[in-house]
Amino acid sequence: MAQQANQALPNGHPLEEYVIDRQLSLGGFSIVYLAKGADGKQVAIKEYLPNSLALRTDGQVMPIISAEHLGAFRYGMKCFFEEGRALARLSHPNVIRVLNFFRANETVYMVMEYEHGRTLQEFIQKHQGHISERFIRGVFTRMLNGLREVHSHKLLHLDLKPSNIYLRADNTPVLIDFGAARQTLSTDQPMLKPMYTPGFASPEHYGSRKDLGPWSDIYSVGASMYACLAGSAPQAADERLKKDSLTPAMIRWDGQFSDRLLEIIDWCLNLNHLYRPQSVFALQKALVETVTPPQSKSSPHWLNRFVDKFKKAEK
Amino acid sequence: MRFTIYQESRQGGRANNEDRTSYCYSRDALLMVIADGMGGHHHGEIAAQIAVQTLADSFQREAKPSLADPFRFLQKAMNNAHHAILDYSSRRRMKDSPRTTCVACLVQDNVAYWAHAGDSRLFLMRNGRVVAQTKDHSRVRLLLEEGMITEAQAAVHPDRNKIFSCLGSPTPPEIEFSRKTPLAHGDVVLLCTDGLWGVTSGELMAVSLKGANLLQAIPMLLTQAETKGGPHGDNLSAVAVRWEEAYVDEASSAISTQTMALNEVTTRLEEFGRNPAYKSDLSDDEIERAIEEIRSTIEKYTPNK
Ligand SMILES: Nc1ncnc2c1ncn2[C@@H]1O[C@H](COP(=O)(O)OP(=O)(O)O)[C@@H](O)[C@H]1O
Ligand SMILES: [Mg+2]
Repeated sequence: MAQQANQALPNGHPLEEYVIDRQLSLGGFSIVYLAKGADGKQVAIKEYLPNSLALRTDGQVMPIISAEHLGAFRYGMKCFFEEGRALARLSHPNVIRVLNFFRANETVYMVMEYEHGRTLQEFIQKHQGHISERFIRGVFTRMLNGLREVHSHKLLHLDLKPSNIYLRADNTPVLIDFGAARQTLSTDQPMLKPMYTPGFASPEHYGSRKDLGPWSDIYSVGASMYACLAGSAPQAADERLKKDSLTPAMIRWDGQFSDRLLEIIDWCLNLNHLYRPQSVFALQKALVETVTPPQSKSSPHWLNRFVDKFKKAEK
Repeated sequence: MRFTIYQESRQGGRANNEDRTSYCYSRDALLMVIADGMGGHHHGEIAAQIAVQTLADSFQREAKPSLADPFRFLQKAMNNAHHAILDYSSRRRMKDSPRTTCVACLVQDNVAYWAHAGDSRLFLMRNGRVVAQTKDHSRVRLLLEEGMITEAQAAVHPDRNKIFSCLGSPTPPEIEFSRKTPLAHGDVVLLCTDGLWGVTSGELMAVSLKGANLLQAIPMLLTQAETKGGPHGDNLSAVAVRWEEAYVDEASSAISTQTMALNEVTTRLEEFGRNPAYKSDLSDDEIERAIEEIRSTIEKYTPNK
């Protein structure tokens, strides 16, 4: 079924205290604009406008939402609120900052700090197969700082992929697009079924989702690293569950990157979530491989856990 | 599957041998196990025997001819072995349960999976180099990792036999799993007890096993180690396999299906908009409240505004 694409608001259009400069992207769920605030500062504004449910034709401002679609439209709005809620609580240099949230034109808008740069996906496409190990380690280590912050708020991103990792001009990464982010421990409301992206979504995304956890985002991190080397997305997890034809990184790039990096990628891409790094910290630790400096005092708690093994004792 | 395999256990200078080794294979899967019974606890050899037996029995039951989930198999079988030891000691009303280390490795579809508790080791050797090995659950390894002692100090450290995870102790074992590791043609996987690795480094063994016939090279290594261990040397055991196949790519058509261009990747809105379950009667009031809540959170978390 062909779908008519939504029209963006025109350049120069005033929206609350902002003026639209131009459209940055048009997705199935939303449109992102570059705009200017009253203080002249540039911002990025994300407009909730799901293609299949709301239609804005050329020259219109108000989208048309049929009565039949209103329920689904409002359901999606709930997801958009989740994104706002998630981001509002996060204040971290590697996570996009949300500045404002408002309602207008029958829909809702999220205002973010505007970042100059490009997505990791654009970077991968430009440098097909020529991304250095140093770059990968650098970008992912810092990106994981942001993800750690996300997880420490009991949130999961759930849509990590190169097109949702933004690179500033100096290549520092920023996590964007929390459209699928969910609170892990909210028991009061049923978990909204988030969207996912084939190739980057973990196997848990496809199942009952009760197994979703930090390790699910970690799978996506592994898939994103894999994509940096391959230049394209790895085989989708649901297909891998049927017949796994994903060549391990250890085999595919043997000798071209350090064994350690390749091993880490394969570790993250384990289909069974129990055998992936269980926390971002564990993954980061493996990725930076810092030599732990000598410590002056030992912690006594683990000393007690030792059992004697008097194997060498003579009988 | 194509491989050569060899196992041997020696008493060293001890009065009895508390090491146990085993391997078994089906058409499509191979299991190798080594357990080192702990002498300070009576009947270490019983614990080692139960461990090796339990793993081998599980394999014979489940590998028909391959295992659905190799890691899960290892996890279950090692836990079962742990409980079997505890059951044994409670049936005999033993004051102190016998204990053992355990390292086990499964190979299936040219991929190796291993798990261990304690200080018996697995080394994966490729082209005369150690490319992966288990990390001992021992106090000296922790001290080494924290930089408190050097390798040389570790080798003679009085606590070098103290381990913090084993099968059969009242506290459940900490079982550590490997990553899913594809094997290349000629790879050697060596499982051994500390009687061997304690006197011969993994690097040295990798060099002497490079391209060698395991059926001759392993007994030689054991003899050398036994000599080095001296008249009071520890029990020493090894199971080694040389893999004669490689993890190969599936037909090249597999590649074309997996390499979806990045720019074709679309976010799938799962049933959203079509499934009647995904509807909401969010009222205008609720929308206002949600926005209010988000705005006040932004306020709260915006530094110096
Ligand atoms: N804060 C921002 N600064 C600059 N560009 C942005 C910002 N937020 C989004 N974009 C651009 O818009 C695109 C889509 O945004 P995203 O939040 O991922 O929405 P979608 O749900 O449509 O994927 C991004 O890939 C990026 O190019
Ligand atoms: Mg996006």
